[in-house]
Amino acid sequence: MKNSFDEKILDEAKDWIKANQKVVLATVIQTWGSSPRQVGSRMIVNEKGDFSGSVSGGCVESAVVSECLSLIKDNKPCKKIEFKVSNESAWEVGLACGGEIAVYIEQIH
Amino acid sequence: MKIKTLEEILKNKSSKTEFAILTNLENGDSEIYLPGTSPKGEFSKYADEIENFFKSKKNGVIENSEIFVETYIKPIKVIIVGAVHIAQYLVDFAKSLNFEISIIDPRGYFASEQRFPDIKVINKWPKEAFEEIETNSSTALIALTHDPKIDDPALQYALKNKFYYIGALGSKKTHENRCQRLAEAGFTNDEINSIHGPIGIKLGGKSAPEIALSIIAQLVSETYKK
Repeated sequence: MKNSFDEKILDEAKDWIKANQKVVLATVIQTWGSSPRQVGSRMIVNEKGDFSGSVSGGCVESAVVSECLSLIKDNKPCKKIEFKVSNESAWEVGLACGGEIAVYIEQIH
Repeated sequence: MKIKTLEEILKNKSSKTEFAILTNLENGDSEIYLPGTSPKGEFSKYADEIENFFKSKKNGVIENSEIFVETYIKPIKVIIVGAVHIAQYLVDFAKSLNFEISIIDPRGYFASEQRFPDIKVINKWPKEAFEEIETNSSTALIALTHDPKIDDPALQYALKNKFYYIGALGSKKTHENRCQRLAEAGFTNDEINSIHGPIGIKLGGKSAPEIALSIIAQLVSETYKK
C-alpha cells in the first residue's frame, strides 16, 4: 500500500512548542462506518484554543478543542473520546456523515 | 507524548526513515519503533502484532489491548525529466503530498538551483542521472521535455525497471511517434500502453499550473490503484 498524503501537523506542533505554547495532540485512533478522516489523522490545539489539522470533516472539531482545553486546565496527560452518529438533536455535536470515531488526545510535554 | 519523542519523529521523517509510533492509550506513554528492532519496555509483549501492523503499513489499535500503532512510510519517489515551467508547479503541489521529487535535465540553463530550491536537480543525461538515483517498482516518472533524445532514454529506463507510474507530456501526434519509436526499440504493446500519454487527466486547462494539477491528480489516482 502506498500513501500519497503527508500531514505536516507534527512539524507545526514543534513550532508551537518552540513559541512556548502548551500543545495538545489529537489523533483519530479508531473509526466505524463512514467517517471523513482515516485513522492516524491529526489535529493540534493550544491553550488559547487555536487549532490546526482535522479529525473529521468539521463535525467534531469544536468539541475536540474544548476537550483539549480541559485537559490543559486539569493538567491531565491524556484522554480517549468517542463520537457517535448524530441523532435527532441536530445541534448536538456528532458526525453528520453517520460514522463513529474515537479520538485520543494527549499533552505534548 | 514527550517533546523528545516528537523531535525523534520529525528527525526520522526528514531522514526518510520508516518507523512507527507506539502509544499506550491508558497511560499516555509513547515510543518510537524502528523495523528490525524489539519494541521497548511495556510494548515488548506486543512485538508480533506491532511487526504485522508495520508490514501491512496499517494504523490502528492492537486487538484486545490499549496500544495504538501508527506507521510512517517513506515518501514515494517521483522523477521528473525536464526542469521546465510545469515542473516548478509540480514541485509546489507535491509539497503537501508524500512525494519526493528529483529532477533530471541535461540542459544547464533549465536545471538551475535558483529555479528549484531544495530539490535534487541532476544536470545530466538520463542514462547517467539514473546511476545516481535508487529506483524500483514504487518509483514514478514524469517526462516533460517532449524531446525524444531526453525523454526516450528515461522512458525506456522506467519501462525496463517497471515504474508504477510513467507519464509523458506531448500532443496525441507526439505520443503516437513516441510509441512508434518504443516499438522499434523492442518494447511490447502492453508496455507502451502502460505509459500515460498525453499525460494527465482531462481538466481542460492549458496553462502550466493547470497541466501540473492534471498530472498530480493522475499520479495520486494511480498511486491508490496499486
